[in-house]
Amino acid sequence: MAYDTDIQISICGSAGDGTIAVGDIFKRAMAHIGYRVIAFDQYPAEIRGFGKCIARTRVATSRVYSMKGYSDVLVSLNDLHAIPHVGEVRNYGALIYDSAPMSAVAEGAHISGHLKPGHIPYALPMREVSELATGANRSRNFVALGFVAGLYQLPQDAFHHAIAAKFESKAAAVTKSALAAFDSGFEAGAASYQFDDVRIDAPRGRKSTHEARMMTGNGAIVQGCLDAGIETFFGYPITPATGIMEHLAVEMPRHGGRLVQTEDEIAAISAAIGAGYAGSRAATATSGPGLSLMTEMMGLGVMAEVPVVIFVSQRGGPSTGLPTKTEQSDLNLAVWGGHGDARRIVLAPTNVEGCRRCAGRAFEIAEQFQVPVIVLVDLYLSNRYETVFLQDENEFLPKNWKPATTPGAGYRRYELTTDGVSPRCIPGEAGGIHTATGLEHDEYGNPSDNSGTHSLMTQKRHEKLQAAIKHPGINFTKRFGDSGKVEVGLLTWGSSFGEALEAMLLAQQEGIRCAAMKVVMLSPFPVRSVLRFYKDCQQILVPELNYTGQFAKLLTSEIALPVTRISHATGAPLDVANLVEAIRRAARKHRRRHNAA
Amino acid sequence: MIPQQPVYLEDKVDEIRQSGRLDYRSQALPTWCPGCGYYSVTEGLANALNDLQIEKENTVVVSGIGCASRFPFFMDTYGFHTLHGRALPVATGIKVANEKLTVVAIGGDGDGFAIGGGHIPHAARRNVDITYILFDNGIYGLTKGQVSPTSAIGFKTSTSPFENRDAPLNPLLMLLSYGASWVGQTYAGWPHHLAGLVQQALEHPGFSYLHVLSPCVTFDKTDRTYQNLDLTVRELDSDHDSSDLALAMQAASDTRSPALGLYYTSQRETLGQALDQVALRAGAGG
Repeated sequence: MAYDTDIQISICGSAGDGTIAVGDIFKRAMAHIGYRVIAFDQYPAEIRGFGKCIARTRVATSRVYSMKGYSDVLVSLNDLHAIPHVGEVRNYGALIYDSAPMSAVAEGAHISGHLKPGHIPYALPMREVSELATGANRSRNFVALGFVAGLYQLPQDAFHHAIAAKFESKAAAVTKSALAAFDSGFEAGAASYQFDDVRIDAPRGRKSTHEARMMTGNGAIVQGCLDAGIETFFGYPITPATGIMEHLAVEMPRHGGRLVQTEDEIAAISAAIGAGYAGSRAATATSGPGLSLMTEMMGLGVMAEVPVVIFVSQRGGPSTGLPTKTEQSDLNLAVWGGHGDARRIVLAPTNVEGCRRCAGRAFEIAEQFQVPVIVLVDLYLSNRYETVFLQDENEFLPKNWKPATTPGAGYRRYELTTDGVSPRCIPGEAGGIHTATGLEHDEYGNPSDNSGTHSLMTQKRHEKLQAAIKHPGINFTKRFGDSGKVEVGLLTWGSSFGEALEAMLLAQQEGIRCAAMKVVMLSPFPVRSVLRFYKDCQQILVPELNYTGQFAKLLTSEIALPVTRISHATGAPLDVANLVEAIRRAARKHRRRHNAA
Repeated sequence: MIPQQPVYLEDKVDEIRQSGRLDYRSQALPTWCPGCGYYSVTEGLANALNDLQIEKENTVVVSGIGCASRFPFFMDTYGFHTLHGRALPVATGIKVANEKLTVVAIGGDGDGFAIGGGHIPHAARRNVDITYILFDNGIYGLTKGQVSPTSAIGFKTSTSPFENRDAPLNPLLMLLSYGASWVGQTYAGWPHHLAGLVQQALEHPGFSYLHVLSPCVTFDKTDRTYQNLDLTVRELDSDHDSSDLALAMQAASDTRSPALGLYYTSQRETLGQALDQVALRAGAGG
């Protein structure tokens, strides 16, 4: 096995059961103990009602890159919701459920009637234990959590610590009853004989010099913004990007930043572009529907050469689509959206640490190349937790752009230079007066519809971006797996890269020579390194979360070579097992051909 | 408003040169038609900036799209000629980024009240410390004469060939009810009145809205002409109390004989001050 410990636990309940809350405590406690953790919660789109909540946490001693396609342990706080997920528990995996529900249930409505052969059941009277420990039945979730900790002999104090931290701002009685319920559950778990083969060994002693923290993709974007010294933010609430604005609303005012919630996404990007024009590090955040509204203003940013950063967290589309489900279907919009030849820069991080790095570098790149930069993530990456090791907060470069060498009457804001980047002045600078415009313009910024001017300026706006592929401090492509020639290569982007990498590791264990490359910069496209990878692979698979193969099409338009698309549009992340199967098939095909030849 | 004494061109040119207000004008020749009311706004703004001694590098003129929105090119200040309808949010962003700047948003009736209509209430209610000068000629000029949200009923244009039947908006009433903290109206045919109000609007801390009635000499030969406006406009009553919102709304309701002057002014927290308060509450620097 590649990992000493690598288990996934799912806690499933109804909204109001405290499912997400105990899932949160579990992942924080495990991260505190020193495991690498990835967690992804599923919520209903509705705030009230009895929607399904699932908190899935993968815990490992080595670094892992995605959620697993199956669970080792399923805890049911609500059988109605948990029954459809019984099948995701592996053979000899554990099912933990309430053996003494609130009232009588019909035969088929209890989870015990749905177990598959090979499932190991643990029937725990959660309600009774909760009542005995706390006098109320509301702490079933903590009883269940305690049972898991006791059963797998996890250090009790790490959980106590996480529970106390969670309820820090609440009344002492809340913490007390949660701890009491947890301890009773723990006792029950410790006293149970473990029939399943789920093993959680102590993490390895290797400690990073950096502090380990649990962070979501959105949280990491916020961290990147703060570390890069964001000054202004304008946004409009939209799932799954809202968390970025909410978090910045707390943090920015403390750090001298200013945040305004605007009347719509058009106003958000307009104000961000205004603030960028005025020289501040400005950003906005949205999802697909908002990005649709922003495209016209992004074109102005390209034309008037204004730096701005746009965080986009994709969800299922089109239209209102699936607001609480993930998809990677806004690549076309991010890369091409809008009228005219309006190339901008698009970065797509593949994991939580990458979100922070791309967020911070986006400000540098926007400033240096005087252009809007989109950081494109999706709901799965925005909301999933990973243990991250925080880097130096001074990692990012301070504000900087090409200054005017000849300010005054001769100042040319859109001067044609060898690298296409013009000297930039901002309001307040005496020698830099100019008018920025969305009209085609000459070097001074004066409107011009001269054909020569238009072709030179169009060329400048495109060519200046090529150098962005060499921007330091960030890998715009990165190859993993076997080096040299391989049978199968996986080429993908964004959150899907985690599943691709997991699949690649599993396929390697089966003796298939394979490699995976992530493409972090989607525009301009890093053609040379992708082409080099392509030439090393006998078969190229391009898995992604959309129906039309948007990344595959971008890829083939840039390198003009065929690829095999694995498009998946269900609203859920890719399935690692399916990917492994696709790799096997591709390898067989390659071997048949090879043998025939 | 016709001067009683003869004015000699050379004297006037000398006076203008010496005043320093030409420093605020760019070398670009305005693209407006001869006789357009918008010239007087250019003159009025240059005048006011000069009189208030606001440095031109600390001034940003932001516009949308339309005849009026060509304005920034004719000023020798920082300018941002943005998208149709988006001058206000862009101006808001500039002001939020740098409170030291004097930010003036310029636009026409189509830019402001049709495509950009969703932004006006929010700039007003947030009390962004900018001045919004709206040139209202009741027509789309740059696209050669189509009906606008402030066109009169019965107005014939290329897109209302059988006469406009949509009731026009009342911009002053809208701005007053949106919570604008300074609302005034002037007329391009009264350049001195206009210049005076521009100056007051610039001086006001908070969102100031100046409505400029202006003819389109090329595409409107029948309705909002200099002749018709000269006959209908009047000054606000001399006893008008500009701190009384109800009175201002009453005055704004009279569209037959538009009154010129300062309708309403009040002092309240600007967006910049509000953001400073937020920073204090958040414990900035601590």
